Amino acid sequence: MLSALDISTSALVAQRMRLNAISSNLANMSSVRNENAELAPYQARYVVLQTDDSQGGSQGAAGVKVASVETETVEPRYKYQPGHPLAIKSGQWKDHVAYPQINMTTEFVDALEATRAYEANIGVMEITKNLGLQTLRILA
Amino acid sequence: MSGDIFGPTTIPVLQEVLSFSQARHGVLAGNIANYGTPGYQTRDLSVDTFQQRLKEAIAAKNEQPSYVSPGLMTDEPGDPLKNVSRNMSTILHHDGTNVGLEQQVTEMSKNQMLHNLAITIMSSQFRLLQAAVSERV
Repeated sequence: MLSALDISTSALVAQRMRLNAISSNLANMSSVRNENAELAPYQARYVVLQTDDSQGGSQGAAGVKVASVETETVEPRYKYQPGHPLAIKSGQWKDHVAYPQINMTTEFVDALEATRAYEANIGVMEITKNLGLQTLRILA
Repeated sequence: MSGDIFGPTTIPVLQEVLSFSQARHGVLAGNIANYGTPGYQTRDLSVDTFQQRLKEAIAAKNEQPSYVSPGLMTDEPGDPLKNVSRNMSTILHHDGTNVGLEQQVTEMSKNQMLHNLAITIMSSQFRLLQAAVSERV
């Protein structure tokens, strides 16, 4: 029964990591430079989850862990801004500024999903705790 | 003196369980209090070690009747019960901390379940004693 709590906890951590990635994607929706201040629009990050046998694996159940955080490689969103100091000087996208390609709707739906998954796991934990309390009621 | 009344019951054992879970609660509360302290590493008391030692103490008590409590109160320097272990599988953050709020709250919740279990059994033991002393149910 206590391993059920560990499994739910691993899911809580995983969903929180996912929500962190989503917040990062939304926060950097208009970041035109990367962390080294180079002119490269932000690329969305996505968390990849993986089953984890080390948590309560003995009972056939498996927890979850973050396998990796993947960075997208997509074409930036080009916005026509002539006169902008960072506008592209020549070529097909002359006078355009490269912005991150972030779909706000997708990110919000993902955030909603992560939040509901978090809530669902809290619900499972409450049920598990209630199970323990009900067992104690046999004694009392 | 209390040993005469409580000796045949499991109350001394439960008392040890309670003091362990209370001590562990303090350690876990410290982890949550230091959520965000740079360089802080989570601490924990080993439940397995405690249960192992309790098992040994109960076995020793059964061989020659005495109390469980004094048997557990060792004061040797390398006492594993006094170890505050730092090994919990959590994410190491950039500021050197590894406090996972979810893990800590879950551990607290498990600890609370252990505490509740001991309290419930203890109260039923006391109810039995009460019935015997007062001669009514």
